[in-house]
Parts: sequence; C-alpha cells; structure tokens
Amino acid sequence: MFRLPKSALALALALFACAAVGASNSQDYQIGTAATAVEIAGWDIDIRADGKGLPVGSGNAINGEESYEIFCASCHGVFGEGEGRWPVLAGGEGTLADDRPVKTVGSYWPYASTLFDYIRRAMPFTAPMSLDDQQVYDITAYVLYLNDLIGEDFELSQDNLAQIKMPNQDGFFVDNRPDVSNPRCMADCADPASLMIQSSLSGITPIGHFVEGADAPASSHSGQHDLEASKEAERKAAITGEQLVSSVAQKNAVMSAEAIAGEATYKVACGVCHDSGLAGAPKLADTDAWLTRLQQGKEILTIHALEGYAGAKGYMPAKGGRADLSDEAVTNAVLFMVESQQ
Amino acid sequence: MATPSTQQLLQTMQGASEHLSTNDRRDFLRRGVSYVAGAAAVGGATLASATGLTSNLPPNEPQWGRQLGTGVVENPYGLPSRHESQVVRRTVPWLTAESISSISMSPLQDLKGIITPNGLVFERYHAGVPDINPDEHRLMIHGLVDNPLIFTMEDLMRFPSVSEIKFIECPANGGMEWRGPQMEALQFTHGMLSCCEWTGVPLKVLLDAAGVQTAGKWILAEGADGAHMSRSIPMEKILDDTLVVYAQNGEMLRPEQGYPLRLLNPGWEGNTSIKWLRRIEVGDQPWHHREETSKYTDLMADGRARRFTFVQECNSVITSPCPENPIVRKGFLEVEGLAWTGRGTIKGVDISFDGGVSWRPAQLKGLVLDKALTRFSLSTQWQGEPWLIQSRAYDDTGYVQPTLAQLREQRGVNSIYHKNSIHTWQVAPTGEVKNVQIT
Repeated sequence: MFRLPKSALALALALFACAAVGASNSQDYQIGTAATAVEIAGWDIDIRADGKGLPVGSGNAINGEESYEIFCASCHGVFGEGEGRWPVLAGGEGTLADDRPVKTVGSYWPYASTLFDYIRRAMPFTAPMSLDDQQVYDITAYVLYLNDLIGEDFELSQDNLAQIKMPNQDGFFVDNRPDVSNPRCMADCADPASLMIQSSLSGITPIGHFVEGADAPASSHSGQHDLEASKEAERKAAITGEQLVSSVAQKNAVMSAEAIAGEATYKVACGVCHDSGLAGAPKLADTDAWLTRLQQGKEILTIHALEGYAGAKGYMPAKGGRADLSDEAVTNAVLFMVESQQ
Repeated sequence: MATPSTQQLLQTMQGASEHLSTNDRRDFLRRGVSYVAGAAAVGGATLASATGLTSNLPPNEPQWGRQLGTGVVENPYGLPSRHESQVVRRTVPWLTAESISSISMSPLQDLKGIITPNGLVFERYHAGVPDINPDEHRLMIHGLVDNPLIFTMEDLMRFPSVSEIKFIECPANGGMEWRGPQMEALQFTHGMLSCCEWTGVPLKVLLDAAGVQTAGKWILAEGADGAHMSRSIPMEKILDDTLVVYAQNGEMLRPEQGYPLRLLNPGWEGNTSIKWLRRIEVGDQPWHHREETSKYTDLMADGRARRFTFVQECNSVITSPCPENPIVRKGFLEVEGLAWTGRGTIKGVDISFDGGVSWRPAQLKGLVLDKALTRFSLSTQWQGEPWLIQSRAYDDTGYVQPTLAQLREQRGVNSIYHKNSIHTWQVAPTGEVKNVQIT
C-alpha cells in the first residue's frame, strides 16, 4: 500500500491551504493607490452640457476680443470666418440642409458648454492648457458674440453659460442604424443596361508611388506648403518682373554654419507654424512678412523665440512650445529663418 | 586591349545586382501597365529586358550566394528589406491644414493576412504624438466611484492580461467619396483601417477596483496629449468588451498608437479608443464634448444629425486587384480582399465581376474573429475581359453591406462618416484598375 511520508503530507496540506487562500482572494487585486482630492482637482478639467465642472468665474466679449485676436484669429479669422483649411467658427445659420452646409458653433454646436471645455483643453492649438479661466471665459463669450448668441457686454459665468440655448440644440438624435437593408441577391440583381459608371476625379491624390510623376498636388504637408509658396513667388515675380531666386542651394551658399545647423530644428519644431502661417507666424517663404521683423534685429527675434511673444499679428509660445529644445538649437533655427530671407 | 580590373568587375557585378534586385513587379508597374494586355510573351519580353538577364539568374549563382551577409544585431531592432521601401503610410495633404492634426493611411494594398505591422498602422492625431515617459504616466479613475484610484504603468501590468485581435477604423474612412469617386488608390479610399493583437486589461476590471456607484452610466475617457482628446462611452460597452491596452502585436504600443496606454473600444469608431489615456471619469450622463458634437456626428439630408454613431458597420474592399495592384498576367488570378464588422463576426463575402448584377460567394481564409479584419479570396481566370469588380460582406447579425445608392437615399451626401458601401474597381482590358462608382 502506498504510504505518504508524514512530512510530504504536511507539505501537501500546506500547499492546499495556500491555493485555497489564493483562490478566495484572486479578484481582490489591491492594485493602485487612492487618488487624492488635490490630484483629482488638477486633472478634472471636463465641463458637461449642464455646466457641471465650470470653474467659478466670468468673462465678456469686450474683453475677449483682444485675447481672441492674439490667440485665435490667425487660424479662425478675425470674424470667425476661418483661414485656409482651419475651422470656421461663426455664421452658417440655416445651411445645415443645404448642398454645402457650413457647420459652426452658431449653426451646429448643440451646447455652449462644449466651447469652454474645448478651448480650455485644446486651444490655442500650439499651446494647449496655457490660458487661464478668465481668458477662457472671455474668449468663449467672444465666440458666442461672433455668432450673435449674446451681446458684447453680456457677463458669461458659471451660473449662466449652460443656460444659453444654442440654435441647433434640438438638431441631434441618437444613432438609429442600421438604417438600410440590402437583400443578399445573387443573380439578376440589376439591369446591366442601366448601370452608370462614374469615373474618379484624377490629379488630386498623390499616387506617384505607382504612377510615375503623379504626386499631384503633393504627397506631404511640407511638399504642399512648398508648392503653394513657389506658386506665390511665381505670381509675385510675374507682377514685379523680378527673377525667381529661391533655390535651397543658393540660400545655403550665403548661410552661416549656425543657420545651416538650425534647419533641422526648423523642420521638426518651427515648421509646424512657420510653414503654414499658423498662430500668425510669419511663413518662411513670406519675405515681406519678415521685413518688419528683421528691422528689430535678430537679437530681439531670438529673445522672442526663446521666451515667447504675443503681438498684434500672432502668438509665439516660448521655444514654440518645445521646452525640450536647447537655447542653441532655437537660436540656430532663428538664424536659419532670418538668413533664409536674404 | 585593357583587361578590366577586379575593382571594375566588382562594380559591374554590383551594378547588375542592384538593378535586378528592384522588385520586378514594381518596376513593371512604373513603366505602365498598359503594355501588359497583349500576349504573355510581350510581358515576358518586357520583364526580360528590364532585368537584362544578368548574372543573378539561373543557371548563374547569384551575387548574394557568393559573399557573406551582415551579422547579428546589425539592426538591433530589425527593419523591412530595403526593397520594400514603398510599403509605407501615406497622407493626402489637402485633407487637413497641416500634419499635426491630421491622418495617414495604411498601405492595405501591400498587406498580407489580417495583422497590420506596427509601423504601418494608420495614424490620426489631434495635436501630434506626445513623447510620454512611462514612469511618469498615470491613469486616474474618479467620479461616481467609491474609491478614486491612480494607476502607474507597473500597476496596470500587474493585472491579469488579455490579448485580442481587433480592427480599428476611423469613421471618416471613405468619407471623401460620398459625392463621387476622387481617390485614385485603395490606400486613400480605405486605408484609415488597421488590425492588431492588443494586450491589456478589461476596463471593467479597473472600474470594479474603483467601485462604480449605481448611478454611473457613462464614462469620459481623456488623453494626455495636447488635444486632451475626450469621448463619452456608455457603461454597456465597457461591461461588454472595452480594454485598456499597453501593447500591440507583441510589443509595447507605438507612440503613434498611444504609448504607453490607450483605450480600445472594439468595433467602434477609432476616435473613441482614446490614445495616451490618462483619465477616466464615471458619470450619470454623456458630456457632449467637441469630438462628439461638432465632429463625429453624422449630418443627414434634412439638416438633423445623428450622434453617438459608435459602431463601424459591416464593410469590405478588394485589395487585389486594386489601382496599386493592377492585373499583370492573363490566366489564373486570386481575387483577395478584407472584410470587417463592428457588430460581430463576418459570415461571408460575395464577389461581383459585373457591377453587382450577379454575385459569387468568396472563401473566408485564415482566422475569422470577432471585430477583426477577415481575409476573403476567390480564385478565377482573367483573359483580358473588362470587369466592374465588387465585394459585398455580411455579418452574423444578418446585416448585408449596402450600396452607395441605399446609403445616400437614407442619409444624403453630407454625413462625412460611416460610408461602408460596396466599393467598385473598374478593371480595363489592359489590366489597369480605376476607382469608380456605379449609380
């Protein structure tokens, strides 16, 4: 007869006891630490449609105008009409059923609270979470004012923001799909003679990777900007009769070593705004826009780049919002931009 | 007469090998598929002249068989062959104002199986890719919970992990073509779509640890990026299958995909799978934030709009042939493609060669998984006949992928999102493939 040694039996019992303890507590993870009220308060930035979460404070459109023009107008337009492909904020009322609807805060957004929430969490685009609550209230009021939803002296606050009835508040309904039912027909499903074939537009997608020379209009955003810049230079040259001189090789010939070194930083950090004109940044290729700035001297421009700057034409966060860049890298990038104008 | 030096011979050989090792199919394409249609002999001759019948072909021993290759850890993190450099994500620059809040597409035309390699997963950022130190990343859970909690990455990886293969698709995939075709490549018509094996923890496990109060019916998920991207998600979804994931395809998430932590709502529009996830608040109603009111709502023809259109409905597309993969040989042809549904599992796919007049069932091949890309295949012969080739998927709810005409009749042409209609490629007698719509 098989006999288990006493010690082994004790061990087996002990193991069984451990397993039992483990099983009874297997879902009791005890992982994570308690979040303190202070920790939660620092991150709890959301505002709900009913106004829950709004900070105590108030603002108005009169005060909001200046902040709007500094932080918002370069992309969204002075009147909320939008620049380039950036979002239109105002107008468009009554267009939602049109062939080309214009979806704005006034014509489309169901809740005013969303405006405060979004500005605070994500705007201005190049420096999110940099505005204080006062500025957010003021800018929110100004955008509502641009949409004729409040008067310019209306004092917007945590008590009345959620009470503002947006024109399209009742224009939404919850998803009711599936909304189509296609039978799984296998034969004679359509009259072959009735098929109309619509061909694709051509020349607007970059397909140079499989059709030689077909990267139209461009395959990258920087390529697109270069294309638009060179078209603009050609247009100006045609008016002034000047010769086009803008090749990179010619620029490099007159650039300092620091400026050449700065080009890499420009591409990864500065180009975001200075290629597109975002936040009122002078575009690299826009020599006219640089003329007045160059008159201040490159020392001043470098200080503005390092420490940040807000002026009538735009807004530049310190180091372009890239605190990780060294002073030398930023300085070299400024030299690259300055010497690109020569 | 001068005898060529060893150096010159080596250079000549190197030159020949360089030339030959370019992917001959690609080379063929670059010079135009319009020459292909004729006899196979024509194609053969063209290929032969392209490669020059140089020394690497039988009966000769190729160059790479007569020398040593590179050693281990030459590339500590391996890279694709240099001959695959065309397999990359691409964007259409005019879709967005710049590249920071923008989108790129996966090269579906080059992918095999159902898994998207990590470097090719489509990108969608609202404020660029943040560079997050995982040691300083935290996930906070608070709101209508008994125990508000903060988790470190180490905490989250102590929970029992699950790994699941799921697709992610942007609801704007195909959204440029509601009014008519304008994208001349599969990568741009359908490439806002990828599928990975994701590893992490079910969100309900984390919420259980925090103790959700009975009034808690929705959560707000928020990212740590500059957009602080936020979406409201109903509790039913979380109890069903929402994950908090930290890995994809066997390695930690790529920065583009939310490193070190993202939400994953399987089968739902991609933007709900918040990347760089830092905060979950439990509430009793949705928040109606910008990305669920101004954006990601579907405008109907009457001017009213659908909201919380979470599900990516059943969809499919043929990936070969397609504009990037024209037919280059007469004879045997395997038609292949991808099908997917956010409501469950693909049950089958039918193929039409005549613009939807008649249909033949395709085979599903490989893994057929819930809310994952599913590959389908149909073997046939092509003898240069013109085709209007389409795929039509159906899922285990009985839903059949609709026609564009059916969608337009219900929704008009301004809804931007959720265009999952049957897609048509026009195959010319030359083998060339164009994007068209049938109306």
